[in-house]
Amino acid sequence: MTHRAALVRSCSFAALTIFATAPLLMLIATSLSRGWFYPTVLPQEVDASAWRELFTDSARRDAVSNSLMLGIGTAIVATLLALPLGRSAALSTRIVRRTVALLAFAAVALPPVALGLGLQLTMLSLELGGTLFGVFLAHLVPTLGYLTLVFLGVFTRWDMRLEELAATLGASGVTRWRLVLLPLLRRPIADALALGFLVSWAQVALTLLVGGGAVRTLPLDVLAMLQAGQDQRAAVGALALAVPALLVVVAARSAARHTAAVMA
Amino acid sequence: MIPTLDVRDLCVLFQGPPRPSPIDGSVSSITVDAGPVSMLRPVPGHRIGLPGVTFAVNAGDCLAVLGTSGAGKSSLLRTLAGLQPQGCGSVRVNGRDVSALAPERRGVVYLHQEPVLFPHLSVLENVAFPLTVRGTARREAERRGFEMLVRLGVEGVAGNAATALSGGQRHRVALARALCADPAVLLLDEPLSSLDPAVRRDVRVALLEARTMSGAATILVTHDLDDAMAVATHIAAIGQFGDLSVSTAPAELLHAPPSLSVAQLLGVFAELPGVVEHGEFVASRFRWLGGVIEAPGVTAGEAVACVRSHEVEVHVADQRTAPVLTVTARREAAHEVLLDLRDVSDATVTVRAPGTTSARVGDRVQVVLRHARLFPTH
Repeated sequence: MTHRAALVRSCSFAALTIFATAPLLMLIATSLSRGWFYPTVLPQEVDASAWRELFTDSARRDAVSNSLMLGIGTAIVATLLALPLGRSAALSTRIVRRTVALLAFAAVALPPVALGLGLQLTMLSLELGGTLFGVFLAHLVPTLGYLTLVFLGVFTRWDMRLEELAATLGASGVTRWRLVLLPLLRRPIADALALGFLVSWAQVALTLLVGGGAVRTLPLDVLAMLQAGQDQRAAVGALALAVPALLVVVAARSAARHTAAVMA
Repeated sequence: MIPTLDVRDLCVLFQGPPRPSPIDGSVSSITVDAGPVSMLRPVPGHRIGLPGVTFAVNAGDCLAVLGTSGAGKSSLLRTLAGLQPQGCGSVRVNGRDVSALAPERRGVVYLHQEPVLFPHLSVLENVAFPLTVRGTARREAERRGFEMLVRLGVEGVAGNAATALSGGQRHRVALARALCADPAVLLLDEPLSSLDPAVRRDVRVALLEARTMSGAATILVTHDLDDAMAVATHIAAIGQFGDLSVSTAPAELLHAPPSLSVAQLLGVFAELPGVVEHGEFVASRFRWLGGVIEAPGVTAGEAVACVRSHEVEVHVADQRTAPVLTVTARREAAHEVLLDLRDVSDATVTVRAPGTTSARVGDRVQVVLRHARLFPTH
């Protein structure tokens, strides 16, 4: 590698590191400072009260708890639905496969506001507007779209011979799932759970429109604090949003590495 | 005695849209029993591939099924294994009709062309898999699995990952696993194709060992006559129109192939066009070939004579002898030579001759036919 190429690579790496970490560092600094205003370069006073409030204030605890319940519930249910849906579509005719892919893509590609409005009207007619269950159903729509596309891809490349072989070796349908499919699907399932959680965890528009303000989640809290000029509390909320997301990604990668080692 | 595998009037289906088929009556050379076809269960997206297949295989016997690519060999095996729907007919294993049973309840093990091992399991876990799914305790399953690996000579890789094996080892491990399932019927889908000669020999030996050990009724699908002769006790050939000809012994099929398409499939015959006149075959371009091929019972008209290499004598001709043919090319094969011969009118024909034939390119030769099989082409 030439000196110039090495220099370009080092600069690119430094720039990427700064862009990736600068917002996070800024959030950390803001969450621990009081009265940090322009043009002051450094915070004048360190204050962890906003962090304490995250764990002690019941309204904030509710928001975190709602977000966690929605994220985990959506991830699990969407994975349970998307796996068989993606599989059956992938093993079906080309027309069925394309139709399912189109519908799944539509759920993902529709602007959240347009999708949210449609879902809001639907939930209201079902008397689920403003309820946690209604928001859960709303989150399920784009999440299911994403995960169906994930499993459609997985099963389009799936080696059906493994299942055929297991069947002729005496494995019933349930046994085939237990001993062959699920172990081999551990990586895509881990990815799907992570993705499903993240889609719901960061959801704003659907929660706002379907929840109608009655269902508080962490992203909505952060927005509300920003609008109220409470930067320190908003920064704490933003970090609380980021940490589980990062943990989920790390956990999913770890599971993927394990499966990749088995599959190698 | 009840055969282990008894297949009657089986309609093998191919995936794909319907298209004109011999059973429509356009081809008269196939005998199709009206019974099974009239009882055909239509399956959307499928068409009839092999109509009315009937054969039986006893325990310990091996039937090799020969056929060209796309003839329906693999579809036949997949139908027997229950991996694809059957149009009509019955499949009986040890006297029990398994036509409507799921693959796992048939007692039929199907091995794919490429040996498929479960990538998330070790070699030993792979071999013990059929026992594990039947509820055998893990320790006992692995003990029996290891015994099977010992019998097939691959116990050294028992602890390896399934993905870290050579081609020959993969075949042996896949066979060991199939035998652990204790199948009544073992279906082998072209296990010897795409193998290099050394591995091919190794896997042939493994197949013979497996056949001896298991006592299962085995069907080996192949397009290679040598493989079939080496492993099988019986040979069946799928003809041009999906007709299945089963012989009691491989040599019988070679001696008297039932149709020209089967003869072509066997790949050991030279074809000489000609006509049948007055009960004799006369090669149209080689009237001067020595020997008389009698054609009793063959309708007069155009025909093809199929001749094997040992039924041909090629003599380097004396210049004074006439008429003669000129050798324009000589190609060495395993146990014979292929000679391209040209006559005075520049018509050419390829003859399979014994490997001892001394004729070289440019030699003028005479050809004598000792025996031939005649197939009318009109």
